[in-house]
Amino acid sequence: MGAAIETKNLTKSYKSKQGGRINVVDHLNLYVEEGEIFGFLGPNGAGKTTTIKMLLGIIYPTEGEGYVFGKELGDMEVHRIISYLPEKPYYYEHMTGLEILRFYGSLFGIKDDDLFKSLLEKVNLAGDMTKTINQYSKGMQQRIGLAQSLLNDPKLLFLDEPTGGLDPIAHIEIRDLILQFRAEGKTCFISSHELSDVERICDRVAIINKGRIAKQGPLDDLLKGGRIEITATDITEAFSKTIQDKDAIVSFSHGRLIVDLPDDHNPNALLDAVRSSGGTIVSVIPRRKRLEDLFLETVSGHDGSSVEIPNPNDAKEGAEA
Amino acid sequence: MRPILSIAGTTVGEAIRRRVLLIILLVGILFLAIAPGLSILSARQERAVLIGLTLGVIQLTSVVIAIVLTVYMIPNEIERRTIYTILCKPVQRWQFLVGKYLGAVAALALMMAMMTVVLIVVYAIQQQVYSPDQLAPLAKAPVMFFVQMSLLAAVAIFFSTFVTPLVNFFLSGGLYLIGSAFSSFFESISQSANVQPFAKGIATFANMILPNFAYYNVQNPLINPQQAIQNETVYYIQVTVYGLFYIGILLVGGILIFDRREV
Repeated sequence: MGAAIETKNLTKSYKSKQGGRINVVDHLNLYVEEGEIFGFLGPNGAGKTTTIKMLLGIIYPTEGEGYVFGKELGDMEVHRIISYLPEKPYYYEHMTGLEILRFYGSLFGIKDDDLFKSLLEKVNLAGDMTKTINQYSKGMQQRIGLAQSLLNDPKLLFLDEPTGGLDPIAHIEIRDLILQFRAEGKTCFISSHELSDVERICDRVAIINKGRIAKQGPLDDLLKGGRIEITATDITEAFSKTIQDKDAIVSFSHGRLIVDLPDDHNPNALLDAVRSSGGTIVSVIPRRKRLEDLFLETVSGHDGSSVEIPNPNDAKEGAEA
Repeated sequence: MRPILSIAGTTVGEAIRRRVLLIILLVGILFLAIAPGLSILSARQERAVLIGLTLGVIQLTSVVIAIVLTVYMIPNEIERRTIYTILCKPVQRWQFLVGKYLGAVAALALMMAMMTVVLIVVYAIQQQVYSPDQLAPLAKAPVMFFVQMSLLAAVAIFFSTFVTPLVNFFLSGGLYLIGSAFSSFFESISQSANVQPFAKGIATFANMILPNFAYYNVQNPLINPQQAIQNETVYYIQVTVYGLFYIGILLVGGILIFDRREV
């Protein structure tokens, strides 16, 4: 598999009100593999939408370069095989769902009503195809947006907050559709604040903060570093002081011992020692690191400037930045 | 060509549903309908007043429609983000701009055609004239107005690529007024021998750069049949080509600016 997206020091700067320039996107190095679901995360104003607009060729980078399927950003050939679902999409309100697809289809030279109707069925809008867009709910507008983004059977989809503001059923439907896209071999580039969705469906993620990549890599690698919590009772204070593991967090109170260990430490020795001392094991709970924890840890306290910029080749190999 | 026509078609669909444009159009049609009542108040020849009044209403209404229609066209697409879902498809920016312009011109044509039909019906009823040979010449002025409005729409589209709608409203409207009222003045100064070279240079420059909207005000021969345009057909062709030339320049200028503009 080759690269669906690759950027090298991609930068977008604007004039600030105080004079000078602000880097909204700052020397961004991204690598997205063909056929994967890539999560692009970051707080509001981090530069996610600006990055997507550059990748789509809608705005121009100030510095650096970017490639989509090996072609320079903005290449019209690439526009035939990509698609975009914007955050809070707006469509011409006087048009019906079917007319919207006819209009966007005509931009590709597609005049196939059967295709349009099958896409409307795919996003559960077949019964509403003759309603005008101003009669559509927010969820329906999101779904017609998804239908228009599938018109050209794209190889790469840019989805900006695809599940934002949807009810739980529509939310699950769209999440399942994205998984279906991966099964069909499509690449999905998802910008989202729904961390639980990203954790569930994405193969790799990048976290951007203040225009710079703070973390990038396979989700499994990034979420390594969970912990194991061992709780035991009938423990003496003397025993609790014998625990020497420098990575362990030990708390002891009224004969109750709680030890919090990194998940790469073997807990058997400690469990045996507790039993030998006459203590009782109450629970052993493995706690996986969640994307939310990683996101908070990455975004809070990061000023962006101290972050090491990942080499795209490192990212390619799945290394954590 | 296909994306241009699709964008133009959508633009027409949107324009004919815009309430503000429909209200302006309805007010224009209302004035056309009551024009016979107003013309009999005049002591002058009733027919001349009727033609003068109705053509004036069509021209004024068309100017307002042309400016209101076009100044918001590009900024609205950017503000509502519809432009993103279009430009990420295989659509070049120039195709988008030309499509929007052609859509605006088509919508203008539709609205002006409606007013012209009302003009002809009102004239036929009031003057008791039903022969197509006598009614057809009335359409000449609206056709020339249409070329004039297409030129005005190109001016507004050009400015809309880099200024806000409000500034564009005054710039386009101002240019139309200057181009209608002062073009002959600039022309006469630039050709006069008794004017200082500096003033002459400015007048020549203004005369060259500003489109002359007055060329399309061809209502006088209709109001007063004693007046006539010599080689009428040639004149109409010449001023139409002149308009198309300016439209071409304005669109190319707009495309060059829009192509590098951040959206």
